[in-house]
Amino acid sequence: MNQQPDVPAVNPVQRVRIWYALLLLVFGTFAVRVFYLQVIRYDYYKHAALNDQLKQYTVPAERGVITAHLGEGTVPIVLNQKLYTLYADPTIVKHADMDAAKLQPIIGGNVDDITQALQTKQTRYVVLKKRLTPAQSSKVLALQMPGVGTLEQDYRSYPQGSMAAQLLGFVNNDGSGEYGIEQALNGELAGKAGQLKAVTDINGVPLAASSGNLSVAPVAGDNLGLTIDVGMQSALEKIVQSAYNDNKSKDVSAIIMDVHTGAVKAMANYPTFDPANYQDVNDSSVFQNQSVTTPIEPGSITKVFTTATSLQKGVITPQTTFYDPGTWQIDGAKVSDVEEDHSTGQQSILSTLDKSLNTGATWMLMQLGGGQVNTQGRNILYDYFSNHFRLGKATGIEQGYEPDGYVPKPADNGAGINLTYANMSFGQAYTATALQMVSGFSSILNGGTYYQPRLVDTMTHANGVAETVRPKVLETNVISKQVSDNVISLLEQNNTNHIHEGFGYLNFGPNYNVGGKTGTAEIADPNGGYDAHKVNGTYMGFVGGDTPQYAIVVYNLEPSKYAGFAGAGTSQPVFGNIAHMLINDFGVTPKRQ
Amino acid sequence: MNITRLQNRQHSDDAQIRRHRPDYWLVVIAVFLVAIGLTVVYAISPALSAISGGSGVNYVSRQLIAIGLSVAAFLVTARVPLNTWRQWQKPLLVIAAFGTLIALITPVVSQYPHHRWIRLGGFSLQSVEILKFALIIFLAGFLSRQAAAGKLGDAQATFRPLGILLLVMTVVVAGPDALRGQSDLGSFGVILAMAGAMAVMIGMPMRRIMLAAAVLGLLLVFVVTISPYRRERLTTFMHPETDCLNAGYQACQALIAVGSGGISGLGLGSSVQAYGYLPEAQNDSIFAIYAEKFGFIGVMVLLALFVALFARLRLIIERTSDVFSRLVVVGVLAWLSTQMIINVGAMVGLLPLKGITLPLVSYGGTSVLFVGAALGLVFQISHYTSFSSRNVQKSSGQRIYDEDSDDRRRIRRAYHPDSSGRT
Repeated sequence: MNQQPDVPAVNPVQRVRIWYALLLLVFGTFAVRVFYLQVIRYDYYKHAALNDQLKQYTVPAERGVITAHLGEGTVPIVLNQKLYTLYADPTIVKHADMDAAKLQPIIGGNVDDITQALQTKQTRYVVLKKRLTPAQSSKVLALQMPGVGTLEQDYRSYPQGSMAAQLLGFVNNDGSGEYGIEQALNGELAGKAGQLKAVTDINGVPLAASSGNLSVAPVAGDNLGLTIDVGMQSALEKIVQSAYNDNKSKDVSAIIMDVHTGAVKAMANYPTFDPANYQDVNDSSVFQNQSVTTPIEPGSITKVFTTATSLQKGVITPQTTFYDPGTWQIDGAKVSDVEEDHSTGQQSILSTLDKSLNTGATWMLMQLGGGQVNTQGRNILYDYFSNHFRLGKATGIEQGYEPDGYVPKPADNGAGINLTYANMSFGQAYTATALQMVSGFSSILNGGTYYQPRLVDTMTHANGVAETVRPKVLETNVISKQVSDNVISLLEQNNTNHIHEGFGYLNFGPNYNVGGKTGTAEIADPNGGYDAHKVNGTYMGFVGGDTPQYAIVVYNLEPSKYAGFAGAGTSQPVFGNIAHMLINDFGVTPKRQ
Repeated sequence: MNITRLQNRQHSDDAQIRRHRPDYWLVVIAVFLVAIGLTVVYAISPALSAISGGSGVNYVSRQLIAIGLSVAAFLVTARVPLNTWRQWQKPLLVIAAFGTLIALITPVVSQYPHHRWIRLGGFSLQSVEILKFALIIFLAGFLSRQAAAGKLGDAQATFRPLGILLLVMTVVVAGPDALRGQSDLGSFGVILAMAGAMAVMIGMPMRRIMLAAAVLGLLLVFVVTISPYRRERLTTFMHPETDCLNAGYQACQALIAVGSGGISGLGLGSSVQAYGYLPEAQNDSIFAIYAEKFGFIGVMVLLALFVALFARLRLIIERTSDVFSRLVVVGVLAWLSTQMIINVGAMVGLLPLKGITLPLVSYGGTSVLFVGAALGLVFQISHYTSFSSRNVQKSSGQRIYDEDSDDRRRIRRAYHPDSSGRT
């Protein structure tokens, strides 16, 4: 090897200076780079940082509570309460059997079941019990069991139990109202959720010191004051339930409406449900407020509307008599009286109502057409049913799932439209809900003003301002005052006749003015025609003194008893009970002597 | 101090180098850097605790203990004569090798995924830090001896043992987990830089250095190719925006931390990235957190401190005539500067991410401890710097003592503050 002495020919000072210069160059590069990142690209990185760090939370708003009248005052019928869900993380639970033995006295149930739940495999979240009270929750937490905890959750509570359940609806686990008023006015009740924008740590926990926090306070939902009277509602529910039991019906519904404002004072259906335990219901059809959600062919109570229309058009007077041939041939089919007295001879408007003559109603339709069922008569009937009495049209009441119903168009469809309209004149071939019937009827009773039916009297906003809901007029001059008086008189006479025919329970004494009309509606068979063995019994009547005060409609769906005379047999007694209840307990204004 | 032990003085006319006032600036700058690190660790410790569910270790007190140990190590290395260290070069290397071996057989756990740590109870030591310290003394000793013997260009005597040593380092430090290597390319880079800088400064033939560099370059390519996570890191470094959620997460979050700091920073208590977004916030990523807190202005201050530190080291290198001493300082400068560049380069997105601390600033006992020890050596060496070249240039025939120089007492008798005026 070349062993020449390796005297460093290098100058260390020079080399270290070159090295140092290189270091400075690197530092310079860093400085430029950091300037680029922190100054030039600041906005980009600030944005990227906030993208990660700034999280948005919604702060739930307090849902509005619901009150109803009780005599002169109001009482709460829907409130909020905080309950607790008891859960466990089985992977952390140490002594399932011991823990279960300690939990059981607090939460009830069976020790073995709790033990089993605590030992659930392959999950980190088991719900042991829902709806623990705050006291139960704190007792459980005091045990300090590893892996066992409670979660706060908002629930609706119902001081009146299941009262008015279907018109109220319920609030589901997501906090949305379902069915009834909770669904229809969900927006108003729910209020506006607040927003919390906060810079958080990676786990989403807001940083207290963060200056970027921004929050919008939640706005509590409106508190609703209902038109419902709690006492009347409870009484109506009892009547409806006993009618259901007596008649072994599919469903019984009844509505009591203030004829002068459209306010629903009570509205009940049976079967119903317990809104506090809605999750235990198997058949969701009981959630439906049938009075509002189920249009049926209303049957002969429709003759009241046909009569009012004919009186209004001047084609009859209350005293008009006519020859009833027993059957009419229309569109090649026979229209005859399927119920009650079936005979030929002179009949009057009153006897048409009293005996519920389908031929009489058809005759009135023929008078509207100038003597026969024709386009003119159909147009008039359609106009009155649909536009004046608003049958087959959703009313817009504060309820979920309100359908329209169905009134066939009067134009000749080549499929026996005249027969359809003849049927319509006595209550078949079109559908309407109990609410539509009672609202249309109220417009006849109050002299011709159609008020939108409603359940809400007051809305109290989060800022404390209470807004009184004014009756909303949808139609004026539905009929004249004269026709109103005539119809009231006819129905009152009809009631008197019924008393004489043996329905003594319809006797309310001389101080009160009560009238009504029965209906027995055949039920359309899905396969065509009508089912001979199934009918709906209906009733439409009023209670008042000098003027009608309450309009009442009863729908009794498919009662097993009294199939042939469902109206008189099942719904008329319900009406009778309701009228007695109103007169006895709820201060119906008597006649001035 | 025993001046006569110093060998290979370049300036024979300056034979009377005495112990003089050391480079206190070195200490001042280091204290500033350590204080900055401690402040940041203190400021983010609530965040670190919050993220670890409140059960986190007490970072501040642990770091204080580490700093205390570091000061102790500094005092020891500053006082134990350099020659003693020189004599201990082989035992030191053996200790380092032994430590590396223990780290090698210490089982890996999720918190310590590589064979890099020696864990004793609640404390863990990063074995490569011991290795770096030992290597500086060993390489300085070896190279200065070979230079004195005129064998620097000798393949047999110098190049081969050096090559073997570096190969062992390659396998142990840069080697992948599968081979029980430490998989620590960052530290390996520091070691290479140390060895390279010392070789260049001693005047090893550039031809040899280039050859070694070529071989190591090939090895590096090989190591990167066989390690999937390195390939991934390299790919994400090339295109960081493509994979911010997975492999490029830390790199992205580091850039976000730096960039969102802006000109003046969010403020000492206002780092958000430390709340779990940026991994290793107190450790490898402390630069980014610092940049987030103190902004561009703060970063400039920090860079200036490092420049100043390296300037002091450069000055000491220039003024140290003893070859061994000079090489030690060269090694320390290479260590600190390379490690700093690798760390900061990764944080600002100029270099691929490496698991390596920012010297003196990062939380982490071992790093602080051995950097303190290394600075102790430099501090000792700074007692014996020479300013002859400067003085010679200044004077024209007549010798003038630089009023500002640190060593203007050097011709006089030893200055004993305790005894003067009492005898």
